[in-house]
Amino acid sequence: MTRSVLIVDDHPGFRAQARALLAASGYEIVGEAADGASGVRVAMDLSPDVVLLDVQLPDVTGFDLVGRMRGRPDPPAIILISSRDAGDYGGRISRCGAQGFITKAELSGSTLAAALTGLADD
Amino acid sequence: MTRRRLVLAALGVVVAAWILGGEWVSIHAHVPENHLIDALGGLAFLVAGLIALDRRPEYSIGTLMIAFAVVSYFGNWGNLQVAMVPLVGLAGQQFGAAILAQTALSYPTGRLRTRFERVVIGVIYGVGAATCAVIVLAFDPRADGCARCAWEPAPFPSRPAVLTALLVSQRAGAVLVSLFLAAVWLRWRRSTPAERRALTPLWAGICIIGVVYLLGAFASPDTTGDPFAYLIWELQSVLQMTLPAVFVWGLLSARLARSAVGDLVVEFERPLRPGELRTLLARTLGDSSLELLFALRDPPRWVDADGRASDLSAAISDAGLNRRATVTVADLAGQPLAALVHDPALDQGLVRAVAVAAGIRIENERLHADVRAQLEEVRASRQRIVEAGDRERRRVERNLHDGAQQRLAALALSLAMLRDRARADAALAGSLDQTAAELRRAIAELRELARGIHPAILTEEGLPAAVDSLAARSSVPVHVHADFDERLAEPVEAVGYFVVSESIANVVKYSGACAARVDLSRTDGVLVVEVSDDGVGGADPSRGSGLRGLEDRVAAVRGAFSVQSPPGGGTRIRAEIPCAG
Repeated sequence: MTRSVLIVDDHPGFRAQARALLAASGYEIVGEAADGASGVRVAMDLSPDVVLLDVQLPDVTGFDLVGRMRGRPDPPAIILISSRDAGDYGGRISRCGAQGFITKAELSGSTLAAALTGLADD
Repeated sequence: MTRRRLVLAALGVVVAAWILGGEWVSIHAHVPENHLIDALGGLAFLVAGLIALDRRPEYSIGTLMIAFAVVSYFGNWGNLQVAMVPLVGLAGQQFGAAILAQTALSYPTGRLRTRFERVVIGVIYGVGAATCAVIVLAFDPRADGCARCAWEPAPFPSRPAVLTALLVSQRAGAVLVSLFLAAVWLRWRRSTPAERRALTPLWAGICIIGVVYLLGAFASPDTTGDPFAYLIWELQSVLQMTLPAVFVWGLLSARLARSAVGDLVVEFERPLRPGELRTLLARTLGDSSLELLFALRDPPRWVDADGRASDLSAAISDAGLNRRATVTVADLAGQPLAALVHDPALDQGLVRAVAVAAGIRIENERLHADVRAQLEEVRASRQRIVEAGDRERRRVERNLHDGAQQRLAALALSLAMLRDRARADAALAGSLDQTAAELRRAIAELRELARGIHPAILTEEGLPAAVDSLAARSSVPVHVHADFDERLAEPVEAVGYFVVSESIANVVKYSGACAARVDLSRTDGVLVVEVSDDGVGGADPSRGSGLRGLEDRVAAVRGAFSVQSPPGGGTRIRAEIPCAG
């Protein structure tokens, strides 16, 4: 089954590459957002299966958005992404309620699938 | 003898003649009273008043005391059965109690302080004035047997009216004395410690006299016929006689205190500890609340003995609101040296004498305070530089994260896509794999560099988590124990982190240790960071810039830094960083 993905990241270059890479791996990219406020709005409108959520957004941190996105019925799976690695965030990743974390440079169809099945090695 | 003293001497002679003349009249009129006590009482007030006018010409207390001495003798002169003298004598003596009450309540300045005090004294004067008015309107001395009192009769001559007015005035004394004692009690409550010390004997005497006056209000008006009334009358005279002595003692006590200035000068023969000057001045002046501030010139400002900036008006305010502090500025050749913030009840002359005696010591302490202020400025400047450096580090790390790292991450994804498309071309695929591996190394190195500049986890999670992360990446096993998990101020966290980071780097590079331990604790507003290892020891902060740099960083935030590193005995690095709040 094709999984729909929303990419929330403030870097257009990264969004474009991620869209192409994940589309090539069989994911359906249903939308993009460049900040937290529009990310929440688009997630409500499109109800994606997965949200790729950047930790550092211009208006809010990804940690803060997880709760708001997960607080609705039939919530999406949320995978946090960052150019830093998981160790730079200590216990916040596990505490915030996200499904997983992927370092941006490591993003691929397979690492996303692993994160979604809880196999990702942060 | 100065002109002022000549005037006072002349005044003294005139009033003494008035007192002794009045007493002579009483003696010849066979008034049954103790003439010696009576005369001594009047003269005592006169002498006390003259001393007060001489010592404190700016205060009106001396005038009040002399006025009381004069008014007290109207009654004696009233015994002179001639012309209008009995009327004037009887009327004038009605104001004696009011003047005495005003003198006692306004001592030592002669000024009443509160509205309540003014009301009480006003009421006492009012009763005196009302009695006086009745006397002027109704007193007929011929009806009292004064054959030589030849003048137009009073408008409404009535002996019963005059007697009633005198009786009412006497009975009203109970209320007036109670009001007066209430005013004394309120003044006691509002007074400063120095005032209490100076005025306790006076107020004790006033209270005793007040009680006697209270009893007198219920005694018979006829002091000659009723033994109790006569006893009260004489008791009042004797006790009143003690008041001038207490007044004079209070005025001279400042002069006695000046002898303490001599002791102060002797104390100056030995070296003083920092801040001891204030203690000595406070002891000499008998004012434990004394504040000593020093004037610095460039820029003009006030500092305490430690060189810390102090707002003079705030110091006065801190010393107590409601005008419970005043300032005396000690200067040298017109340049202010120091400000003594002290109890306003202190004798200004004494404060000035102490300031002059301590002049050289004050200048010495002022120079020390100047040096301490400059040191404080250097330390604050160093702290600002360190904090600015930390802010710059955070900014560089953030820029790396937002710029280069993002571009490299996008590049990595782009390479991954190309690699996917080049599956059919093994050579191209291999080349792309090598490029991707090289890029991953570059990204990892850049991430490590960014982390070294400023660790994101310190900003995100605080010190214990950041230290855990450091320990996790260390090649030597590091056990971390933290007894807190709350966030601290950014500069404190940064200093604590770099102490641990540099120390663990040293453990890895030089110690040869098998294990290390980091302890983070927070007690009494101090963050204690301790890093210990079981390595070869022998670390010397004077060699190499790492430990010296840490020492400087810790000192910049007023912390303490120590290194114990005996050869072969491991190394223990300890930093204590203030983190109040």
